[in-house]
Amino acid sequence: MVRWERITVLIGKEWLELRRSRGLLLITLLPPFLLSIFTVVLIFAMGIIPDPDIASIPVATIDPALAGLDLGALTQVIFGRQFALLFLLLPTIIPNVIASYSIVGEKNRRTLEPLLATPISVGELLLGKMLAAIIPGTVLTWVCALLFTGGLVFVAIDSVVPTLVIRPGWILLLLLSSPLLALISVSLTVMVSSRANDPRSAQQIARVLIIPVMVLFFGQMLGLSVFQPLLALLLSAGLLLGAVVLVWLAARVFQRETILTHWR
Amino acid sequence: MNAIECHRLSRRFGTLVAVSDLDLEIPAGTIFGFLGPNGAGKTTTVRMLAALIRPSSGSARVAGYDVQTQATAVHSVIGILTEMPGLYDTLSALENLTFFGRLYGLSATQAVDRVSHYLRLFELWERRNDPVGSFSKGMRQKLAIARALLHDPAIVFLDEPTAGLDPAAAHAVRQVIKTLRADGRTIFLTTHNLAEADELCDLIGVFRNRLISLDTPANLRARLFGQSVRVVLASWAAPLVPLVQQLPFVTDVVAEERVLSVRLTDPERNNPVLVRTLVAAGADLCYLEPFTPSLEAVYLELLQEAEQPAELPLHKS
Repeated sequence: MVRWERITVLIGKEWLELRRSRGLLLITLLPPFLLSIFTVVLIFAMGIIPDPDIASIPVATIDPALAGLDLGALTQVIFGRQFALLFLLLPTIIPNVIASYSIVGEKNRRTLEPLLATPISVGELLLGKMLAAIIPGTVLTWVCALLFTGGLVFVAIDSVVPTLVIRPGWILLLLLSSPLLALISVSLTVMVSSRANDPRSAQQIARVLIIPVMVLFFGQMLGLSVFQPLLALLLSAGLLLGAVVLVWLAARVFQRETILTHWR
Repeated sequence: MNAIECHRLSRRFGTLVAVSDLDLEIPAGTIFGFLGPNGAGKTTTVRMLAALIRPSSGSARVAGYDVQTQATAVHSVIGILTEMPGLYDTLSALENLTFFGRLYGLSATQAVDRVSHYLRLFELWERRNDPVGSFSKGMRQKLAIARALLHDPAIVFLDEPTAGLDPAAAHAVRQVIKTLRADGRTIFLTTHNLAEADELCDLIGVFRNRLISLDTPANLRARLFGQSVRVVLASWAAPLVPLVQQLPFVTDVVAEERVLSVRLTDPERNNPVLVRTLVAAGADLCYLEPFTPSLEAVYLELLQEAEQPAELPLHKS
């Protein structure tokens, strides 16, 4: 039986440590906000100085919704859609950074043994550690996506631009996939942390998750409509399956005995 | 009632046998000293008893709970001071203790009360809001001990509790350990400080992958060194050795300058005969005193014995 009181106490401690570690806080918070700001600024600039070649790229000719747009609006939509995909990277990076410092940090400070000697179960400990990384990662992704949306509405040169960028498929993908990507990222971090003695080594594993996002990124450039609700649902289902497998594997690594006798 | 019981408790790591067939019964309210060289398997034993790792074979019960099937119950009734203090450097002393207190199931109010009590007891109250990363080794050790006691555990495992402490702080820790015993708690003390073990422990276990000996410090001394007296003379002692050796109750005699160390079977009955014999032989006696070997001598003797092949005599004549 999961005792949520202990999990919330653990999450509270994790976040307190995060707040106290200014460097970690900076590398966690700053990049997402910079991503939101820079993408909006770039979309604004592209609306004013559009790229004349943009009309010839595959997506501009394939998608009928883009027909009839002037060059500025077309540039904003095409780049807006590409930038929107980048927000899927945030739930892979932020939780990974938090979890790697949390788990490898406990290992280096030798705090895991006294922690494991308390009545908290290993499952609760793992759940607390994961949630402490997943919640800020997911919430921050959503907040930044909201900032991007607000900024896009503000800088759009045509009122149709936001409706062509912020589509139900993207919203669905962000809402469903962000926590799942965060869960996958943290599970991989837990597994790697058992062997890593440096948080930065443990962070390398999350780079793997950049690959599917990049596939979507380039697929969209080539004309694939990745923001369809059905595709978003299918992608999320695939991520859910992957997350279940990886959580199971992480739970196998994160055993009291394994941590005390094999983690070095 | 026994606080800790193990039956043939063993733990192997691959081909390495860290703990072999440990049989142990520690009555409640006892301070048990667990002595042994580095790499003897002491930490592995403590981890098994604290339900942190599973035995390869055998069984153990701590406060009546099975360490293999009732790990959570075991964790709630024990306190543990690990080899390394294991504290969160960016959190304050107050935050560290409160966090662990809450994990041990204390309510917010209880945690505040207990934390302030132990911070004052270990003279850390003035530094309660400072990050633990700024603490000295001794202060960290005291904080880790406070953490082990926070939830009022019935059984406390202490690994080198006074290591790194200044004499005054070490004295304070020993007083706390005595107070815990007076309150009826059981202390499982792992230490290399044999003087400390001698001062505190009711029961001593000497261990090197297996239990070499288990007894009270007094019985260990008596078993290994018998009952000895030191006779201090006004003149050289060596010429008297043959005379003393002839006495039927003397099991061993050693002369060193003006001192005769004599091992007897029953000092109360033998001492008058010994004194009469020496005086009759013309020896000038200054005084006679009971001889108590140090626990260190007992410990080294036991380890040496354990190394000897079984067919050789274990005790000195």
